[in-house]
Amino acid sequence: MDKELTQQIRDKARSLLEEGVVEGVIGYERASDGVTSRPFFVYDPSDTERLIFDETCAHNLVKYLMDKKGKKMAVVVKPCDSRAINLERDKVFIIGVGCPGMVETNWSHKSETWQAKCRSCQLFKPVVYDFLVGEEIERQAEEETYSDIAEAEAKSVGTRREFWLEQFGRCIRCYACRQVCPGCYCPVCFAERLDPLWVGIRIAPEENDMWQTVRSFHLAGRCIGCNECERVCPVDIPMSLLNRKLEKDVKELFNFQAGLDPEEPPPFATFKKEEIMEFEK
Amino acid sequence: MNLYASKDDLIRWLDSLLKEHIVIAPVEIQGQTMFQPISKAESCQLSAISNTVLSPKGWFLPPTETLFSVKRDDGHVELVPTQVEQDAVLFGLHPCDARGIALMDKPFLQEPSDALYRERRSRTALIGLACRQAQPECFCTSMGSAPDDSSNVDIMLTEVEDGYIVQAITDKGKTLLPKGLKEYKGKVPAPPKLQTIPTKEVVSAIKGLFNDPYWEKLADRCLHCNICAYVCPTCYCFDIRDYADKEKIERVRSWESCQSRGFSLTAGGYDPRATKGERLRQRFCHKLLYFPEEFEDVACVGCGRCVRDCPVNIDIREVINSLKQVTEAKSGS
Repeated sequence: MDKELTQQIRDKARSLLEEGVVEGVIGYERASDGVTSRPFFVYDPSDTERLIFDETCAHNLVKYLMDKKGKKMAVVVKPCDSRAINLERDKVFIIGVGCPGMVETNWSHKSETWQAKCRSCQLFKPVVYDFLVGEEIERQAEEETYSDIAEAEAKSVGTRREFWLEQFGRCIRCYACRQVCPGCYCPVCFAERLDPLWVGIRIAPEENDMWQTVRSFHLAGRCIGCNECERVCPVDIPMSLLNRKLEKDVKELFNFQAGLDPEEPPPFATFKKEEIMEFEK
Repeated sequence: MNLYASKDDLIRWLDSLLKEHIVIAPVEIQGQTMFQPISKAESCQLSAISNTVLSPKGWFLPPTETLFSVKRDDGHVELVPTQVEQDAVLFGLHPCDARGIALMDKPFLQEPSDALYRERRSRTALIGLACRQAQPECFCTSMGSAPDDSSNVDIMLTEVEDGYIVQAITDKGKTLLPKGLKEYKGKVPAPPKLQTIPTKEVVSAIKGLFNDPYWEKLADRCLHCNICAYVCPTCYCFDIRDYADKEKIERVRSWESCQSRGFSLTAGGYDPRATKGERLRQRFCHKLLYFPEEFEDVACVGCGRCVRDCPVNIDIREVINSLKQVTEAKSGS
């Protein structure tokens, strides 16, 4: 299966480059540990032989399209990643991959277990693509019950506060969560604004708290659940708990899931006149 | 002389050190090993082969610290510098981390020295632990150290069956040695063998690669987070900001990194390192060119943390190997 997907991706990448359809292809290659994978930018058709696709290709490559604005690029996109594509479609060639699910990986190790997000993922094909490989892939998905969120919600405010301060206490403000996030595209992040000053430079619980909370709330209704933030966090902060709480609320309040319909704007990026009336009442 | 301490001896020793020192040792927190002040000897975890998540540099250059504060009271202004209150012991340092501290000393202890760093450094004893096993990301022997290198610690421990060989390296170490230990007459175990990379060749060639397209290409996949710099035992850049309210002003120093966008941004909006490649080049040139030019040594100890933790696998060993190839290709053409 992996070999087949890999070969189809290589062939497509090669023809896109040879025919001049795109300037470059963003895909995956084997990492230096020989076990996991890493993002790979291909500009030369002969390098397409280094492209791979397997259960370690977790990175959401859509983020890189922001760096390559103005260049016509092709990008390898899994179903979850595809929900992040929110840009001029004619500038991007999407090589969609039917996804068999990604496993938990760490430097030089891969586990047999699927990532948590994959267990309940109902999306087997990307929501947008120009070319699809692995169309036939199907797998069993569990229902997303948000049971862990309900469990957290049942706890007292004090207990939750204590839990999060302990988690955020480990944060080193490396901003890997922001840098990897396809929804974080502000030209200047609030964390770096001096005027107004939203959050200072202290790497300490009281300021990490502000950073982490605003980060997740700014993504309410826009987070597509790729969970890259949690995967890259060097101190293992369970950000998916916050992100999925917001996802659940937005689903319940607005009947909306980010990125499933590329035409529909997220609830906090739009308003209707009726909503203002309702609010004033 | 080599002494022998059983595991129980070690616990007793730690307990006695705890009476008069802050002891910072590797502890396990939610499945990760971190250097933390311990309150009881049993918390210390010496069995982890992997390096701790963060290097112990944070004891000398904390992620955040107040350098001084200014108190205002009825027109009266008082400047209060931060004091280092207590002696400390950094326990269970791998040789790479101990070398990291020796390298940090160079910029921070050269005159005019950094007062808080100097105070903490002079009041902290370093107790090292030789590595009996290496991880796939380890390459200390290519960076001037070794798994059994005791040259940067006050006391060196080497794990043997049921206990540890204890060697006092410095006079400071001798004063901290536990009493009543017997001589160790057995063999000292051989250190693990490690991969080597062509550091020296690249250090002498990297100046010529400043404008090479290699950097922008490498930076394609770089996320420009600060993980590599913050887990690194020798990255020491920081930012300073004043916090002020009606009663108090504080001057605060926090870690900062050349990978972040704001780091080199100047007033008026000009950024001398505006592109991703320029920022990534700075990381490697500081380690392999600028630091050696100023302080002789390469600012890398081969601990492998950046290799292990980079989300997109920017592997300094691979970078050094690639730079060697680029140099060879250039000189061959």
